[in-house]
Amino acid sequence: MQSSLITRISNAVFGSLPGLLALWLLSSCGLQQDIDVVLPDYPPQLVVEAYLESGQIPRIAVSESAPYLSSPNPQVPTDVKAYLTLPNGQRQELRFDPGIDNVTGKVYTHIGQRRISPTPGQTFRLEVMDTQGRRVTGQATMPALVPIDTVEWKFNDKQGEFRKAYVLTRFRDPAPTTDYYRLQIHRDSISRDPEVEYTVEDRLNNGAEYSLGTSYEFAPNDTIFVTLYHLDQPYFRFLQSVQDARNANGNPFGQPSAIKSTVEGGVGVFTVLSYQRRMVIVK
Amino acid sequence: MDRQGSMGFRFLVAGFLILLTVLPTTAWAQVQRVLSGVVRASGTSEALPGATVAVPELGLGATADEQGAYSLRLPEGRHQVVVSFIGYDTQTLTVNLTRNQRQSFQLVSAGNQLQEVVVEGRGSLEQKLQTTQMSVERLTAKEAKLLPALFGEVDILKTLQLKPGVQNGGEGTSGLFVRGGSADQNLVLLDDALVYNPSHLFGLFSVFNPDAVQSVDLYKGGFPAQYGGRLSSVVDVKLRPGNPDKFTTSGGIGLISSRLTVEGPIKKGKGAFLVSGRRTYFDVFTRQINKLNEGQDDYNPIPDYYFYDLNAKANYKLGEKDELFLSGYLGHDVFGFNSQNGFNFDFSWGNAVGALRWNHTFNKRLFLNTTASLTRYEYRISNRLDQFAFNLSSDIRDLTLRSDLDYLPNDQHALKFGVTATAHRFGTGRLQAGSQDGRLSLGSDITYSGAEAALYASDTYKPTEKWQLEYGLRLSGFRSGADQYGGLEPRAAVRYSLTPTVSLKSSYALMYQYVHLVTNSGASLPTDIWYPSRGSVKPQRSQQVAAGISWLLGDGRYLITNEAYYKWAQRQIDFKDGAQLFVNPDLDSEFLFGKGWAYGNEIYLEKKQGRTTGWVGYTLSWTKRQFPAQRGTTGINNGNPFYPTYDRRHNLTVVVLHSLSERVQLTGSFVYTSGQATTLPLGRFVFQDVYGGDVAAVPIYPQRNTYRLAPYHRLDIGVVWKLRPNRWVPESDLTFSVYNAYNRRNPYFVYFDQVKDKQTDEVLSYRARQVSLFPVIPSVTYNFKF
Repeated sequence: MQSSLITRISNAVFGSLPGLLALWLLSSCGLQQDIDVVLPDYPPQLVVEAYLESGQIPRIAVSESAPYLSSPNPQVPTDVKAYLTLPNGQRQELRFDPGIDNVTGKVYTHIGQRRISPTPGQTFRLEVMDTQGRRVTGQATMPALVPIDTVEWKFNDKQGEFRKAYVLTRFRDPAPTTDYYRLQIHRDSISRDPEVEYTVEDRLNNGAEYSLGTSYEFAPNDTIFVTLYHLDQPYFRFLQSVQDARNANGNPFGQPSAIKSTVEGGVGVFTVLSYQRRMVIVK
Repeated sequence: MDRQGSMGFRFLVAGFLILLTVLPTTAWAQVQRVLSGVVRASGTSEALPGATVAVPELGLGATADEQGAYSLRLPEGRHQVVVSFIGYDTQTLTVNLTRNQRQSFQLVSAGNQLQEVVVEGRGSLEQKLQTTQMSVERLTAKEAKLLPALFGEVDILKTLQLKPGVQNGGEGTSGLFVRGGSADQNLVLLDDALVYNPSHLFGLFSVFNPDAVQSVDLYKGGFPAQYGGRLSSVVDVKLRPGNPDKFTTSGGIGLISSRLTVEGPIKKGKGAFLVSGRRTYFDVFTRQINKLNEGQDDYNPIPDYYFYDLNAKANYKLGEKDELFLSGYLGHDVFGFNSQNGFNFDFSWGNAVGALRWNHTFNKRLFLNTTASLTRYEYRISNRLDQFAFNLSSDIRDLTLRSDLDYLPNDQHALKFGVTATAHRFGTGRLQAGSQDGRLSLGSDITYSGAEAALYASDTYKPTEKWQLEYGLRLSGFRSGADQYGGLEPRAAVRYSLTPTVSLKSSYALMYQYVHLVTNSGASLPTDIWYPSRGSVKPQRSQQVAAGISWLLGDGRYLITNEAYYKWAQRQIDFKDGAQLFVNPDLDSEFLFGKGWAYGNEIYLEKKQGRTTGWVGYTLSWTKRQFPAQRGTTGINNGNPFYPTYDRRHNLTVVVLHSLSERVQLTGSFVYTSGQATTLPLGRFVFQDVYGGDVAAVPIYPQRNTYRLAPYHRLDIGVVWKLRPNRWVPESDLTFSVYNAYNRRNPYFVYFDQVKDKQTDEVLSYRARQVSLFPVIPSVTYNFKF
């Protein structure tokens, strides 16, 4: 629970509280207006999102970043070639064949030829290039699996629509290593927004049991999917920097953060997922 | 000099001290006598530090010290002595000096706020012209109370922002950014005790209640040797002593807070006390609103918020030569939030400061002040979420002992010696968390200690009428764990009188800062913590040179000053992107180190005499910082120099006070500053994430602070209307303020927003939005005294 608390405290103190002040001031004054802003030239970069998963055909999305105030339509370059190098040194081309993943609901642009079965410690490499000479490379090693020990829930004393349960997810952090986790709890489907999400590191209780808890927010008979990802440090930092960058826009107390990509030559992430998922019905 | 001081270094200091005491004095052509005494306020008998005692025809003068004591060496004969102080009628007295003589003065208060500034004598401007000390601004609470203020809340630190060389940190905030220094590089003292976080409500108000404050001196450069520990400025706030003759009550009722002060004698002729309190009352209204909306499903209760502060001061004469002074401050901000779904959040923060000073007069030429002070700043967060609870706190505590000796061997030298030692305790993070059933329990406590000490000596030396020098040396050191640091801090200033009305001045100062503020918010937040120099975090260091010219015009009614400065600083600190500053036992690794430099020119025109008084200040300045690649990062701004947010190219302030009649005073202030440097995202990319969640547009920030917000300008106007005395309230006034009189929409920050189709929620385009904080805000405050 420690890290979940810390995450919440951090959010409350560094984000919500000053934000609340700003909101209070803004709502009482309502002093907002559109302005014209002239930004320096921003050369677009290739953006890669590549999550390899055991038992799945590799699917990656390659897009292009854009000047902030330009058209909102996503820029998908069509001249990009992508290659995946397997742990055994075999290099596969991921063909350009845009589509939507039925499970995740996410768009991909390049797809592999066969399913992969990575094991913890194995390293993959990715190379993406286009005809303008832009080249993005990255490598990723699959973290060990950290299993979920228990998922338990407890209802409050209220009745009817106010009867709600909290959910506790327990697991044990391996002692020898610095570890990073991401816990997501989805209701009904994993393609929706998660109800709960924590991204934590073990710097304060290395090697101890973790209990990540929610508030009373699940109704009787809710079907929930609890997913615990064990992340490597580059992926954790990438997620953190994405969150920081998003928080900085619109928060006068936020410190703008550069995106800490796990790839070189562009923006984005290349990682091998290591997770365990449990489906439970809260009764 | 990092690490251990050497023996040679000790000899150097000893030699310096000896040198100061044996410097030759010139022979006197005429018999000299000493005129000395104390300047007090008539009626209250409060000492008036800073009051000027001058003999204009000789161009000689002295400033009263903290106890109101002055000492002036004059030739034998008859002299016209002019005594003046802000807010009091100037007094002129002819003195026939045939021997050393004591002459005390009791200045009569202008009696109402309306004339407190207009009666300012020419003496203070002349004194300012003559003194070696440059780059200093003095402001009294009485002066600050005349000026219009946000919500009518008079704030002496915000008034200092109207002085040249001082920038604010953003709309409405009380933080001071002095000559390119950041807000944590100010040494803020309250009756010689350090105040770590001098702000309420996220910096919107300072902790100094104007009813309890007498004056504040702001040193922007040319720092006297008795000050140290911060790089950029000294903010020396003095509390007002109580009325030694009778009990009085005064106070004020304002838009957001009320104040009450009680003062009186402890024992007639022996001492006096003052207790002053202030509290806001937002929470009274918000609780009522919450009560009215109780039970509504979609209603989010408004959090409770209030702050209070309590100041106290007492002085007691133990005898002819000994006096004790006890000063205290206690203030807290309290923020509470209780949601309907079981989330409780209580957050409080504040300072506690206490100082006991013993003043001993050995004789007319030798004074000793010894002060023991305690200061503490802490914040506490108590949070409960269903069955889980946690408590989090952080604090810093200092115990300081200092002794200062003033020795006036003759009229050419004024020597100062001192020693100070501080024991620090840094509680950078204390966390206790657990569940009600006891199955979860954990904690963390990260605490460091540190010891800081300094030794100094200085001399103000006047070899001729035209030349005056002030030079000093400070030896400071710091220890935390096994790490030790130290350094010599030379200070020097010179004044040359080109003509009786024109002075040239120059100064140099080197400063060390051993404790560092841990923040990456760019704003002053209550959760900011202090961290000692230890490990890779070395002391910050800065040097500043300044040169200026002062010219007294219009028969002494105007003083125009021009000062240019250059400041350079090493081991400046910042933090990695995404640094974990919160309960981090390895905080050391999150720091980044770089350098900074600032330069500029300040022009300042003052008028303190006549029906219309005020000042005009203009500053042209540049501030830059650079953090190269290090610690696995590319540095800040890819290692290239960048402007910090408080860099401003132009800053113009105009302050006018006009006495319309005996009962009505009009005041106004105008501020113009160049736009604040800020960081905007230049690009964005689409981020889908792994499972679940909407697609997000993520901003890309390739550069730091390359965009400038629109210029800031604002006019405030005010009227002080003194009411006729009545049986119950002999003194009262109504102070009207209009903040931002022409309703300028000054930028607070800019962000980018999506424009969406209301039907389909599809993103159509992006736009830039500017947020402003305060429109035109009128306010009225009722002040009384009986």
